[in-house]
Amino acid sequence: MTTTAERSASSAAAPPPRRRSRLRLRNTLLGWSFILPNFIGFVLLTLIPVVTVFYMSLTNWNIFGSSQFLGLDNFIKLAGDKSFHTAFLNTLYFAVMHIPLTIVVSLGLAMLLNSKLRGVAFFRTAAFFPYITSIVAIALVWNLLFSPQYGPVNQVLGFLGIQSPPGWLTSSDWAMPAVVVVETWRRMGYYMVLFLAGLQTVPRELHEAARTDGANVVQRFFNVTLPALRPTMFFVTVMLTIESLKVLDLIIVLTDGGPGQSTTVIAQFIWTKGFEENQFGYASAASVVLFALCLVVTIIQFAWNKRRED
Amino acid sequence: MKRTTLAIAGVAVAALALTGCSGSGGTASGGDADTLTVSGWSLSSTPEFQLLADGFEAQHDGVTVKLVEYDPTDYNTLVTADLAAGKGPDVITQKEVKYLPTFQEGGQLLDVSDVKLPDGISGTDSYTVDGTVYATPYRQDSWVLYYNKDLFEQAGVDQPDGSWTWDDYVAAADALKAGFEDAGVDATPIYQHGWQSTVQGFAAAQTDSSVLDGDYGYLTEYYERVLELQSNGDQVPFNTVTANKLTYQGEFGKQSAALMPMGSWFTATLVAQQASGEADDFEWGIAPIPQADASTTGTDATPVTFGDPTGFGVNANVSDEKADLAKDFLEYAASEDAAKALAGIGITPALLTDAVTKAYFDVEGTPQDELSEFAFSTHDTYPENPTSPDTAAIQNILNDLHSAVLSGSQDIDSAIADAEDRVANEIG
Amino acid sequence: MSETKALITPPGADKVLARKRPAAPARSARQRVGRVLLYVMLIAAAIAMLIPFFWMVMSSLKDANSVFSVPIRWLPDVFVWQNYVEIWQESGLLTWIKNTLILSVGVTLLQVTTGSFAAYGFSRIRFPGRDALFLLYIATIAVPWQSYMIPQFIMLSNAGLANTLWSILLLQAFGAFGVFLMKQFYETVPEELSEAARLDGLSEYGIWARIMLPLSVPAIASLSLLTFVNTWNDFLGPLIYLRDPSLWTMQLGLNNFVSSLYDVNFGVLFAGLVISVVPIAIVFLLGQRYFVEGIATSGLKG
Repeated sequence: MTTTAERSASSAAAPPPRRRSRLRLRNTLLGWSFILPNFIGFVLLTLIPVVTVFYMSLTNWNIFGSSQFLGLDNFIKLAGDKSFHTAFLNTLYFAVMHIPLTIVVSLGLAMLLNSKLRGVAFFRTAAFFPYITSIVAIALVWNLLFSPQYGPVNQVLGFLGIQSPPGWLTSSDWAMPAVVVVETWRRMGYYMVLFLAGLQTVPRELHEAARTDGANVVQRFFNVTLPALRPTMFFVTVMLTIESLKVLDLIIVLTDGGPGQSTTVIAQFIWTKGFEENQFGYASAASVVLFALCLVVTIIQFAWNKRRED
Repeated sequence: MKRTTLAIAGVAVAALALTGCSGSGGTASGGDADTLTVSGWSLSSTPEFQLLADGFEAQHDGVTVKLVEYDPTDYNTLVTADLAAGKGPDVITQKEVKYLPTFQEGGQLLDVSDVKLPDGISGTDSYTVDGTVYATPYRQDSWVLYYNKDLFEQAGVDQPDGSWTWDDYVAAADALKAGFEDAGVDATPIYQHGWQSTVQGFAAAQTDSSVLDGDYGYLTEYYERVLELQSNGDQVPFNTVTANKLTYQGEFGKQSAALMPMGSWFTATLVAQQASGEADDFEWGIAPIPQADASTTGTDATPVTFGDPTGFGVNANVSDEKADLAKDFLEYAASEDAAKALAGIGITPALLTDAVTKAYFDVEGTPQDELSEFAFSTHDTYPENPTSPDTAAIQNILNDLHSAVLSGSQDIDSAIADAEDRVANEIG
Repeated sequence: MSETKALITPPGADKVLARKRPAAPARSARQRVGRVLLYVMLIAAAIAMLIPFFWMVMSSLKDANSVFSVPIRWLPDVFVWQNYVEIWQESGLLTWIKNTLILSVGVTLLQVTTGSFAAYGFSRIRFPGRDALFLLYIATIAVPWQSYMIPQFIMLSNAGLANTLWSILLLQAFGAFGVFLMKQFYETVPEELSEAARLDGLSEYGIWARIMLPLSVPAIASLSLLTFVNTWNDFLGPLIYLRDPSLWTMQLGLNNFVSSLYDVNFGVLFAGLVISVVPIAIVFLLGQRYFVEGIATSGLKG
């Protein structure tokens, strides 16, 4: 929000109050006229159903219409539900590993493939392939790579002199790190695309100027590229955070939450409670907790972003 | 901000109004009195629905049965969505017993206690809640032991004779392993699929326990046996089954294993795959599943196994007239006529009479030995999923136990303790 | 207009600039070794990315019972072209592709137009409640779809939209993703450009259409591509809403075609998935240059 129509129109000389309120009205109408086409669809199709989730979380809704108002009972039950605790911690564990790893890898990839290399189109497409390859095929091939006895991963580790390499997807301690690796590998092409677009906004002249000033590659990255990339970085961080906290489909095919509950995440808890155990009210309460978690993190990111901006 | 809050409140009211009015009755078929809609899945590869529809139409002039096709893996989710929106089918096929309480508690199923069922039909208990019947069975699979006769011969091991306890089963597996090594056959004695039922189903049925008890000590012996079979190479390890996403059709059909505990639905698949060439051409048979002790072994006793029925319920929102037609359909589907027709396409009907068994083994490609006939027709089948609102949640907890133990990441005793804790904590 | 134009360097100008740069000095041996190493690394990475796809293609040429095995087999013993023949002749492949294409193109168009339009309101016009409204948009992304999928289904079903392509089209088109992405991109466009345009007498709509849109080609390209791919590969949405086989999408039709109660014909499934991935790969290969087709903004920093 560098400069805005309001600021630019009114900064020269402070207009009298009446003019200011008219300007405000004009801007409000103008702003809404831009937002409205999307907003109508958004309210009808997303916002209304989302709001019902909040209501459902206070009931024992069974999906077929009948429901009983319970107040905060579902939330109290959640607070004492050990399975939910496990899912909650697993989700955080996943997110804390997955988010930084994905940002580093996909930004690195984008910077590498932003250059005029020979065959760069091929490499970009290859990087995007994990995202469009069937998730079943991905699960199988990665399971094979991670296979405790015969997998290439452990063969390399053995070659490096590690005596008892982990059991990866078959071990309750190592399943989550393995899932993180696969999800990062699968998603990096996706975020690379976003970073590639963002990198185009980095003014080339600034790079040139920094180079003339004698800044090396690392300095240029931190002083030119990263600051200019901030809006994109903000977008990617927020989306990546929310998507990490909502992670589901890969885990279902890779481990199905196992072994035991070692890779069970909140989204899976919600699905199980809702669609397998028919406790939609309870599942909705878990959704609200997940929502609150995302929102807190997002607001922190917003505030952080705002501070950096000003 | 105040205005935003107000706006949100307004939206909430609108939302509730919109979803609230959904409970209004109605079904997919609407008012047409002569059309009956029946839910099904994978119609092209699951001919039983069309078969029953045709049979019913033949008996009732002017009546049309319309099959509504759903995705097989997400059947319950989709039917739930349709019912919630008031657009469910007239006849709701009950694919899995553990979801029956959902529909029943949600008021979606009509009382069908007055439907007349033939004597000796099994599976009816699964559909009875507090003395009221909410669905009727037409199909009742039960778990048996499939074995590859050719591989037994190559290994020089005696084939199952109906007298096996689990100890005999383990001994046979050891013998097969040695025999395969000597004969240079590339096969594992046993393939056991990754599902929790392959261990827990037998354990519950044969120790006369129920998953609802909250006490899972009865699983210990069954898991210990499987763990040992895994570690000494008699059986493909669980981790390999899940990691390589092995299919039981492939493992048995391509002769990678000589013994496989599996539900009786596999007969139809195997016959079809051998005919099409997807499975190898070999001789196979069906034996009763091994027993906990000798008291239930032998062809003069009744082996104990498990399995759940498949049945039909009637949508509670249909008109009275339509309800009568739907109940006629349920009655037909459970009848001996229907059972014979079902057996003729390799389905295990809920009603097993001599005529039905004959129809089943008249299918070309089925084994013709007496033991197979015995295993198919004689068994004491306990439900895998007792009918209770808690079953689905308990089975999920036991599934976590299953993967924790068989993957080797937790020992059986602590896994059982965890599961018992969770059931005590989370259920009810 | 003259002033505005002067501030935007037309596409391709950077190439001209690049050409004007003094010729790079002859590469040293060290640089050449570095370059070779880079390529070796890139090729190794590309192989790592493509291995599962390779396995999928090979599996599409196996019969149902040979796809999964111990140990894993990379190449089929016998190449079974039958899987492709079967899909082509016996399934509704063309219908599925047609439906998927309608949805993907429709959703992408709606998402990009309404999203980029709304983003302008959010990023360039200041009015009360704007930031709260924006946060509301983002917040809805945080609610998992499976928790409101049934209320949404009931609503659309009551509106008579379930079991029509409209349901998916509407469902996917108004997400917050596009608004957020475009807003972030607009913020990198120097305000001076809009200022100049305003002096030239352009309205805000004009600025959006003639300045913002042309300047955000990389963002529009990546938004279009990601939306297209997500709609193309979506399974759960079509699964819940589209019951009629004539409305099935690629993913849905394929899943129905290959699976039965306890059984999935993976050979045929992978054949279908290969068929469905190829169009996306081509779209990506052709479209990827637009991700990097920036228009230099003359060094102005807002």
